Amino acid sequence: MAIHEQLLAAIDGRRGTEAADRLCEACVVLFDVDAAAISLVFDGANSGTLGSSGEPARTYDELQFLVGEGPCLDSVTLRAPVLVIDLADRDEGRWPVYGPAMLDLQIRGVFAMPVVVAGEYVGALDLFRIEPGQLDGEQFSGAVVAAELAGAPLLDLLDGDLHAAASDPLSNAWSDLNSLSRAEVSQATGMLVAQLDIEPAEALVRLRAHAYATGRTSTDVARDILDRRLRLDAD
Amino acid sequence: MTEPPRETRVLDAVVSLVDTLLEDFDVVDLLTELTERCAQLLDVAAAGFLLADPLNQLRLLAATTEQARELELFQLQADEGPCVECYASGQPVSIADLRTAGDRWPRFVPAALDAGFTAVHAVPMRAAGIVLGALGLFGARPGELGDADRLVAQTLAHIACVAILQERAPTPATVMPQLRSALASRVIVEQAKGLLRESLDVSVEDAFLLLRAYSRANGEHMTDVARRLMTDRNARPVVVSAIAEFATPST
Repeated sequence: MAIHEQLLAAIDGRRGTEAADRLCEACVVLFDVDAAAISLVFDGANSGTLGSSGEPARTYDELQFLVGEGPCLDSVTLRAPVLVIDLADRDEGRWPVYGPAMLDLQIRGVFAMPVVVAGEYVGALDLFRIEPGQLDGEQFSGAVVAAELAGAPLLDLLDGDLHAAASDPLSNAWSDLNSLSRAEVSQATGMLVAQLDIEPAEALVRLRAHAYATGRTSTDVARDILDRRLRLDAD
Repeated sequence: MTEPPRETRVLDAVVSLVDTLLEDFDVVDLLTELTERCAQLLDVAAAGFLLADPLNQLRLLAATTEQARELELFQLQADEGPCVECYASGQPVSIADLRTAGDRWPRFVPAALDAGFTAVHAVPMRAAGIVLGALGLFGARPGELGDADRLVAQTLAHIACVAILQERAPTPATVMPQLRSALASRVIVEQAKGLLRESLDVSVEDAFLLLRAYSRANGEHMTDVARRLMTDRNARPVVVSAIAEFATPST
């Protein structure tokens, strides 16, 4: 089974925090790491650890927000993976506070893969290892795939009012995941930003919520917005 | 008045594009220009670059057209058609006459014919043995892609690869993040098109042209302007007004 199929099987249709947790657990198994977490680095009010493979993972991930530095934060700023083979390496001095703090927790390897939602780099999938060492080629490619999939639960979690998405047993975030990157959906997102004076991620959330509420695909809703047959409320 | 021979035009185009690579460039802007060069230098009506995302789905990065119908055709190409096969095999795929290919791609062929295209050619985008995606070429008349044309297409596809990888040696570890970054840039540009459509009441096709004209006139990356429009609420009205200046004044 291809990696993304294995990851999707582990997520098993779940949404929001549950999906994020499952994805993290699957990463631990598939990529031979000791812990995994998904963090949101969006704006002051919305930052934090949103999914994890367990309490230790949550602790490792939250440390970056506590000390204000770390590979995960950097991966979002740099819009690229930040890979730390060994925090104990004498030449590894990128994070003078975070590094020693993580070593105290017995973590030496950290691999941060940025997560993109609605074109923006809004968070990271963070993998932690007790033993130092690189991710091998397949593990790295798999982690990139996992980071791609992490966009869906992150999108769920950006929506303060999760009810429509998370509690609807028929809601189809995972099959819809692809359509979220279609041109029409992005264009309609832009229109909503102009119409409602909201951020792109929120616009995408609203478009998707409307799709669920009306039993239609995001692409169909997007087309209606583009053709001005549909206008979403400001509420 | 005779046009310079095709070889000269091709070389001029390549030199000019390589010069661009040596400067500061925007990936979406440069790849859009590459598709326009394809249309000029090859006998094709439309061209588009499709790039693989981490889930191995082809996604449209740039095309000669922003016409919704043709964009849709390119997006359909991501699911079924010559580009998918080209990406999967890493080899060119060429259909001189789509009217004979209906069984092979039952959704793609009617859509392409309906859009006025009769020939389709797909050329792989490769770097160091890694296939990044495909360049799709659409012709209005049936016909093969000759050897000379294929070479031109491969050269332009190769320049596209270099532009995307941006001096990073092509290993799987560097390729995937670069592809993601390029595709994320495209998403922001699409959002900006929608925002301008709403704010200036123009078609999304015109919104793209305005955005590009403004960016080039100001020496800025199209993606950066688009990102500012989408994320900087305070700057937005000013940028929108400035972009509006590039619209043809209505009579």
